Amino acid sequence: MSEPILTVRGLSKRFGDFEALRHIDLDVNQNEVLCLIGPSGSGKSTLLRCLNFLEAYDDGEVRLEGELIGWREGGASPRRALASGALRKQRQGIGMVFQQFNLWPHMTALGNVTEALMQVKGLSRKQAEEKAQAALEKVGLSDKAGNHPANLSGGQQQRVAIARAVAMEPRLMLFDEPTSALDPELVGEVLAAMKQMAAEGMTMVVVTHEMGFAAHVADRVAFLDGGRLVGVTPPSEIFGKEPEDPRIQRFLQTYRERNVV
Amino acid sequence: MELDLFLRYGPALLEGFGVTVLCWIVGSLGGVVLGFILACLYRWGPAPLRWVIYAYVEVIRGTPFMIQLFLLYYGGPYMGLVLTPIQAGILSFIVYGSPYFAEIFRSGFNAIPLGQIEAARCLGIPEWRIVLRITLPQMLVPITAPLTNFFIILTKETAILATVTVPELLFQVQSMMAETFTYVEPLLALSLFYWFMVTLTARFGAWVETRVTRHLSRA
Repeated sequence: MSEPILTVRGLSKRFGDFEALRHIDLDVNQNEVLCLIGPSGSGKSTLLRCLNFLEAYDDGEVRLEGELIGWREGGASPRRALASGALRKQRQGIGMVFQQFNLWPHMTALGNVTEALMQVKGLSRKQAEEKAQAALEKVGLSDKAGNHPANLSGGQQQRVAIARAVAMEPRLMLFDEPTSALDPELVGEVLAAMKQMAAEGMTMVVVTHEMGFAAHVADRVAFLDGGRLVGVTPPSEIFGKEPEDPRIQRFLQTYRERNVV
Repeated sequence: MELDLFLRYGPALLEGFGVTVLCWIVGSLGGVVLGFILACLYRWGPAPLRWVIYAYVEVIRGTPFMIQLFLLYYGGPYMGLVLTPIQAGILSFIVYGSPYFAEIFRSGFNAIPLGQIEAARCLGIPEWRIVLRITLPQMLVPITAPLTNFFIILTKETAILATVTVPELLFQVQSMMAETFTYVEPLLALSLFYWFMVTLTARFGAWVETRVTRHLSRA
């Protein structure tokens, strides 16, 4: 395994009195697929959203290739947030895919992908469209480029959202339950697109309830419970045999019970 | 029917028509622009500014247009603001309309799901570009109908400008009535005119609405 590209140290996040994340330490290596699993309300999504500063974390550090995300370097107390331009620059290196797709409904699939290429990367329309077409082709949607989101299935919309993020050539991709809003028969096509990305060496952090994906595609699986990181292990240690931690046991038990019937 | 009346008063009525349309268009558009600025400042401005805007909206919305117009036209000179009737009419229209428009825009901003904004932020798109490219075009869907409605209301409010001698249509019709002792025909014609303006505005609003909602229809 190569060097960590993302390091998280002592990360904490509070919402009022509620401690959503408590002192998280986590590394993500280059080309690695890390799945975050855990019961609902355990802080998986919050952790993911702290990684690109959609949530401003209270304590600790998130560093992408050594660069502190969201806050200014230096020991000022209280910490000062980065200038908006600097934060935008950091976010360009981190792609994100959401549970609810969050496509812009007034733009076509192609328009959704070209938007940031033109507005942020400064590409001409022609260059952006070429790049967007390539990204859409990669997720198997080159024939849907002219469709508005209203005319795409959920699975297709999510694949457009993936293309939109990937076209920006991020160093790290974050997935926040990318298949949870989909009908069961549409989950496969999205997971397939993600598997392909993983095979091509994209570094990915994936919050998921798809235990199959975690078991077969993840390099490591991190289990969160009550805002704490319970453990980070290769998937075989969680799914292959009976896990030692009773919290993980309980969590997996509910999954098995649901999937058997 | 004394239709030759209309021929005799044609030029005056035409002038009145021009003044009405001028006050309505300039006043409403000014109100839209000011309302949009207020809504943006309310959304992104510092807290003290938000309180000021909140108070402005409350006061203007809470008082009758005619009183605002009187205060501006008759009270203005006491504050060094001497305005011609038409200037007072247009300015009062801007002041009167802006809080309503600000509220329409505020609700429009709120109608865009936060997730779409976050998706744009994740890609590094600057905030003002997000407003321009993502928020504004979509917010036209929920705000077109209320905007059209308020334009329609303002069309008819122009009649109140006659009270400060703005030479708009009602003002002209009033002198016509006073000089000729004919009441029914001029007033009916005037009503017809307002109805025509309102219908035109409504049609235009409907046209805009079909354009801005096109992307929502399934092929």
